Amino acid sequence: MMESPSTITVRDGVAMDTNTRGWFGDLVFGMLARLAGWFILLVMAGIIIVLVSGGWRAFSAFGPGFITSTAWNPISDHFGAATSIFGTLVTTLIALVFAVPFAFGVAFWLVEMAPPALARFIETAVQLLAAVPSIIFGMWGFFIVVPFMAHYIEPVATHYLGHVPGMGLLFRGAPYGTGLLTGGLILAIMITPFICSVMTDVFVSIPAVLKESAFGLGATRWEVMRDVVLPWSRQAVMGGIMLGTGRALGETMAVTFVIGNSNRLGWSLFAPGNTIASLIALEFPESSAGSLKLSALLALGAILMIISFITLACSRIFLQRGVSN
Amino acid sequence: MNKPIMDDTTGHDTSALALAIRNLDFWYGSNHALKDISLDFPARQVTGMIGPSGCGKSTLLRILNRMYDLYPGQRATGEVLFDGRNILSPSLDVNVLRSRIGMVFQKPTPFPMSIYDNIAFGVRLHERLSRTDMDQRVEGVLRRVALWNEVKDRLGASAAALSGGQQQRLCIARTIATRPEIILLDEPTSALDPISTARIEELLDELKQEFSIAIVTHNLQQAARCADRVAFFYMGELVEVDTADKMFTAPHAKRTQDYITGRFG
Repeated sequence: MMESPSTITVRDGVAMDTNTRGWFGDLVFGMLARLAGWFILLVMAGIIIVLVSGGWRAFSAFGPGFITSTAWNPISDHFGAATSIFGTLVTTLIALVFAVPFAFGVAFWLVEMAPPALARFIETAVQLLAAVPSIIFGMWGFFIVVPFMAHYIEPVATHYLGHVPGMGLLFRGAPYGTGLLTGGLILAIMITPFICSVMTDVFVSIPAVLKESAFGLGATRWEVMRDVVLPWSRQAVMGGIMLGTGRALGETMAVTFVIGNSNRLGWSLFAPGNTIASLIALEFPESSAGSLKLSALLALGAILMIISFITLACSRIFLQRGVSN
Repeated sequence: MNKPIMDDTTGHDTSALALAIRNLDFWYGSNHALKDISLDFPARQVTGMIGPSGCGKSTLLRILNRMYDLYPGQRATGEVLFDGRNILSPSLDVNVLRSRIGMVFQKPTPFPMSIYDNIAFGVRLHERLSRTDMDQRVEGVLRRVALWNEVKDRLGASAAALSGGQQQRLCIARTIATRPEIILLDEPTSALDPISTARIEELLDELKQEFSIAIVTHNLQQAARCADRVAFFYMGELVEVDTADKMFTAPHAKRTQDYITGRFG
């Protein structure tokens, strides 16, 4: 250390202004912290540069049509992003539709109603669920969920909902089991723990006296939750949902197992499809360096990043509006 | 509510009781927090509850609107008679009970919504009012707590922006908006400055024309100023209950005397 022999302790009332101790450590620590901060920017810039420059050939070859084209033909070198963008957005939306109410129900029950011992047990289980590797979900989905969907859910849904005007389009088609709906459901199970943990944490952190005030006016548990707890925790809940959305958008392995991996665009939720991430995962090993296909995949990666950014930005704007109201 | 529920055991004004506690015991798990309490709350009077921390006075307040129901392991035995019924009965609808026995807490607890909605919230739980009726109700209670002139131009603004004293008056307005018969106040001024405290105390004096009030307070001067009758609690027991005058000038029990003269507490 750089401790000088003349250092006198402050308690003696001398040499308060001679900063001889620890200046070197401060300097090093400051530098490291600054470096870490800038390194994040560097990584970010690096990723964007690689994706955009790598995908540039595809972007310039197909123009804006790359985004709207549903083609994916390695033989004729025609590539488009529309199907996989559609699949990504639809599976994420399905995942949110199921995961948000599910996570809310679990969190509400854990915080408000469950006996404490049981609640602790289930909370741990929820956290463990978040730690399950996605490949496990993929295999489980393939061997359990896909047959289940094919034999039970999809035929029944077709039977009851397939004839509803408009909405029926979503529930028609052969019950393969693999498809957008199954992909979305697997995603829902995967993102539920994230949303649920955030919700549980914020619901617990609400001052008991605030809830008691609402109970004191004669509100039921549900009314307290809807009118006091949810508005109070809106920000954090939205943050949790966005966390889940981000995970769902980019989730690769589990989706690849159950989505059917077909580059077709249609109304049916039962039909096999793909997502940006699953398409990249499947096609990447089969793309030779410098090929237009590889460039198209990198371009897809860039688009996925942009979608994630937009999601994040939307949530920010949404939250800020919520705060100012 | 005007008819006496039971004879007043203390021989005080028996013309009307808002609430009567009979042989009440209360446990937090295995902790016997209140022991054989019997106490009357005369209608349209302020009943003050004093005693050192942990004596059970706040616990008693939380029994009167069944707030303890929210927490497992807390239980009460005995009778709390209100409007001819024992409110401890499991078959009682606690949501209705709580609209008739309102509560104001130690710290102001505005809900995360506008000033208007803070008041309308409780009303909407129990009544369907037209927009005009609701507007009138909101204005009425805000005038009642002398907050109307301060907030009438920003009813849509968040209640969190009000000062502490204003928030507490808003909480009182919110409580009386559901037209309860009894208002429970748990140290309502302990988080407020002296001026806000004085305004709340004036308000209590005004509110007792219409409501029966039970107030828990650490502040003996406040009890002396506001309460018609005062109950002294010690270690989960009701030591003494009497008019505020007698309580603070000529208490019967030695423990009461020690407490109000500041020998412990």
